[in-house]
Amino acid sequence: MKRKSERAITLVVIATGISSVVTQLLIIREFLAQFQGNEFVIALILFNWLIIGGIGTLLAHLAVKGFWRATAYRLGWLSLCLACVPTLQIMAVRGLRDYFFIHGASVGFYPTLTYTFITIAPYGLLLGFVLPYSLFVLRLEKPDYPGAFIYMTDNIGDVAGGALFSFILVYFVTPLQAVFLSNLPLLAATCFLFISIKQYRVSVFIGTGLAIAILLAGVFMEPASLATPKGEPIYYRESRYGRIAVYKDMDQFTLFMDGTPVFSSHNLTMAEETIHYPMSQSTDPRKILIISAQGGMMEELQKYRLARIDYVELDPEVSSVLFEFDLIKDIPGLHVINQDARAYLTKSDEIYDAIIVNLPEPETFQINRFFTDRFFALAKQHLTGSGILSFSVQGFDSYLAENQRQKISSLYNTVSEHFDHVLLLPGQKVFFLCGNRPIRTDIPARLLEKGIQTSYISSFYYGNMTNERIAGLNNLLDSGAPKNIDESPQLMRLMFSQWFTKFSTSPNRFIVGLTILLLIYMLCIKAEEFVLFSTGCMTMGSEILVVFAFQIFFGYIYFQIGLIITVFLIGLLPGAWFGEKLRGRGKQILIITDSLLIILLGFFILAMKYGGDRLPVVLFLLFGFVISLICGFQFPVAVRLRGADNRVVTRAFSADLIGAAFGALFTSAALIPYLGIVWAAAGLIGLKLTSLTIMATRHEKNKQA
Amino acid sequence: MKKISRRKFLYCSAAVFSTAIPFDPFWFLAETNVEASGPVDISGKVFKGDAPAKLWKWSHEGFLYEKLKKNRVACGICPNRCVLAPGDLSVCRSKVNIDGILYTMAYGNPCSVHVDPIEKKPLFHFKPESRALSIATTGCNFRCLNCQNWEISQAKPWQVRRYELFPQDVVAKAQSVGAKSIAYTYSEPTTFFEYMIDIARIAREEGIYNLWISNGYINQKPLLELCKVLDAANVNLKSYSDAIYRKLNGGRLEPVLNTFKTLHEQRVHFEMTNLVVPGYVDDTDMAKRMCEWILNNLGPDYPLHFLRFFPRYKLDRLSPTPISTLIRFRELAMNEGIRYVYVGNVPGHEGNNTYCHDCGKLLVERKGYLIPVYNLVGNRCKFCKSVIPGVWV
Repeated sequence: MKRKSERAITLVVIATGISSVVTQLLIIREFLAQFQGNEFVIALILFNWLIIGGIGTLLAHLAVKGFWRATAYRLGWLSLCLACVPTLQIMAVRGLRDYFFIHGASVGFYPTLTYTFITIAPYGLLLGFVLPYSLFVLRLEKPDYPGAFIYMTDNIGDVAGGALFSFILVYFVTPLQAVFLSNLPLLAATCFLFISIKQYRVSVFIGTGLAIAILLAGVFMEPASLATPKGEPIYYRESRYGRIAVYKDMDQFTLFMDGTPVFSSHNLTMAEETIHYPMSQSTDPRKILIISAQGGMMEELQKYRLARIDYVELDPEVSSVLFEFDLIKDIPGLHVINQDARAYLTKSDEIYDAIIVNLPEPETFQINRFFTDRFFALAKQHLTGSGILSFSVQGFDSYLAENQRQKISSLYNTVSEHFDHVLLLPGQKVFFLCGNRPIRTDIPARLLEKGIQTSYISSFYYGNMTNERIAGLNNLLDSGAPKNIDESPQLMRLMFSQWFTKFSTSPNRFIVGLTILLLIYMLCIKAEEFVLFSTGCMTMGSEILVVFAFQIFFGYIYFQIGLIITVFLIGLLPGAWFGEKLRGRGKQILIITDSLLIILLGFFILAMKYGGDRLPVVLFLLFGFVISLICGFQFPVAVRLRGADNRVVTRAFSADLIGAAFGALFTSAALIPYLGIVWAAAGLIGLKLTSLTIMATRHEKNKQA
Repeated sequence: MKKISRRKFLYCSAAVFSTAIPFDPFWFLAETNVEASGPVDISGKVFKGDAPAKLWKWSHEGFLYEKLKKNRVACGICPNRCVLAPGDLSVCRSKVNIDGILYTMAYGNPCSVHVDPIEKKPLFHFKPESRALSIATTGCNFRCLNCQNWEISQAKPWQVRRYELFPQDVVAKAQSVGAKSIAYTYSEPTTFFEYMIDIARIAREEGIYNLWISNGYINQKPLLELCKVLDAANVNLKSYSDAIYRKLNGGRLEPVLNTFKTLHEQRVHFEMTNLVVPGYVDDTDMAKRMCEWILNNLGPDYPLHFLRFFPRYKLDRLSPTPISTLIRFRELAMNEGIRYVYVGNVPGHEGNNTYCHDCGKLLVERKGYLIPVYNLVGNRCKFCKSVIPGVWV
């Protein structure tokens, strides 16, 4: 193969890396906007993505060996397809949802699994296929072309794509514009490839034109793809944190975040309950903190003539749109703080008369941090002696279901460690009022004393909030329910359980099916592949653990979390380079590196237990870098141990991807929620110990040159 | 004609296709008709082999069922007409077939027991400001995507915490808390029909009113039996479209309309609620047709409540109903000739008040569950003496 075409293929691989990471991030965001945004679904999407990639990789070897000889020309066509599919895929995800599911209804576990799998499959399979296929093409002329070079080249593209999206595209463009821009390098590289192999056929021109046309059509059709059957879309923006859209229906504005209506004008009941339940308890409130707000709340707060209202909203786009559409009124004394509320409280010296938390259900690691032991302690530090903390979770109409009972009990047990008095008020939302003075239940009377006029509370409270209902709820609390702590998010486990109950389903069939498939796969793979599988699993698991831990201690700081994820990608590159350079003693090296990974996770556990928020940010970055460095290092070593032919390389790629898939799913959806962060890390150590034992006890059969 | 090769044909086709791209390649993204989205019918299915092996303390033989061949039984309470083989559990999750006999598993074991203002049901024309002992067991014959009581309506009797209150105990409880009536509510009372009717018979003897808060999905025979002891009902007319009934609720429209006719014929006071779900039930033409049907079949006197929808349960990706839509529907219904039309779930709105259909004066001002103004004397308007439909004293 000529040098020029080798360079062209290398460029195609890099461009594929850029396109694939941007597409992956966009697809995850797209699914979150279309389906339930809980951590289980996020893990499921990532799992599907990686597992399909792994299958595609395995298919590449079978196809080339069987019926589809590797050629640069075919690679060019595959790359053209790869450039077109993301647009079609995103359009399909948006457009087909309402064909398969009822408009406006959320979707349960198995339909989500099936839909995400099917819609990811075309791109995922193609992507998984292209990477080893590129290697096979390169090996036509250079049979000893190292598999690790492709791994490294792809990784350069991944890092570039990750950085491009997280630090540039997400700020400036819409998803389909991002697809267009991120696929231009791939189109250019493909053209260069066709030129380098002197393929000037009409079909190539038409194909390239078609690819450009599809990408452009995506950009122009984007607004239509976001239209809904009800309401007029009057605002749309992709912020760092998700999709924000405002729809107008008659004179009502509703703000949707990731497809879920979160704030609506005319929601008087919610505004009154959220504000007056806590404020009625304060004697002379002057300064309050409100963590996220919604329509009508400021008008209610204004009735208290407060000196200062600090309103914290993580996403500046959200607060700005709330003001723009009058969902929130700009009242005297209002200060808007766009920051993670926990990070804000950690650094702030302000003391408040009330802290009102108005956040969605703790379905994600991000939100769960506002319902934990450490957060309640932090909130207490920022309250006056007579100050009050208020928060709410989803309530019930007539019956408190068991999952919900456990959730409320867990929260009660957690918060009551920090406050002498905690009162729970039932309703469509259960409100927690926490303070160090007795909390009174005669709220309408308290408001009357203060001269505060209300519409809902004054007329409905005594009918809905009977003493029997209040006592009934408080009597149902389970004092044995475990506390919700940062390191062990008990609430998320209950939220998962509640989600499954809501759809009358259970993940058991999925778990059993997956376990069987995993066992079959385990029986089929070699020891070195198991090392790569376990390392892929551990690296992905560690990434999730590090991001989770970082959020606990430092808050959701977009830029720094983006850096951590980038660092996890960057480390692979020098790791693979060193691994490729190192010759001999493959088995021992794998054993040593496995041991190093175990030690690193051991350090992580110690750091979590004894360091916490005293740890410098750079340590998280360093940890991520070293983990991925070792992961990258192991790949060429393991491949060389097995002989480095095409079959070995594809199986190695697959093992890495399938391992990462399981790492994503098990760590997010099982290990952290069910075992907590320390035991999750211990679980990953256990997996690595298995890999270590297998390598150590394996009979030496070194095939390396 | 000159022949072209297959390859050339493909190239030309691709070229033609590419020129079409700027126009409408993503046809499937064109505005979707919500009624065409997703499954057409979400009706429940019989739970095969899901019945417990043995009866329990809270079992009672079914009120109305038919014995079929091979020990199978057909429940006759609701239009689902579940045919159960031994060991099966009905769609509503309350009825089981044990050895060829139909039993209810929801008898004397309510999971929700509360005392509510009667306005909460909502019943605006029946004993205002009185309190109702409200009870429910598990179960529902529908699968409404927006159910606000799904924790019990979509649960099996043995999956929840329960009280033990047999019919006599319920009546005693109502007396002890000073409730004027007993409301069978929250989940779907038709699914605990046997329990409900036994309580209702005792309550009637004790001078306590019986209120049926239901989706109206019941067969005529049990309904006629119930009407003998029923004092008032609030029946949910979820939409005036069979397609929407099937899609959002898993039921059918016709049996519900029949229920209204039967209640009307039996002279039971009832009120109708219509939850205005954006994108589905907020169609003006449909509302108009619904009002026409009401006027033609039931007359103008039965109160109609248009309720505001909030995202709940599985239907949680829709906006709440705009208040102006409810106001428009109220005006539409009143213009059509329905005399008492209310808006619900909108605190402080004048659509919560009762105005005389004859003189238009304010009869009952409602501030939530409180009634600061009451201008009826007996069942007549204080100003023009017109008879106001309902049970007021």
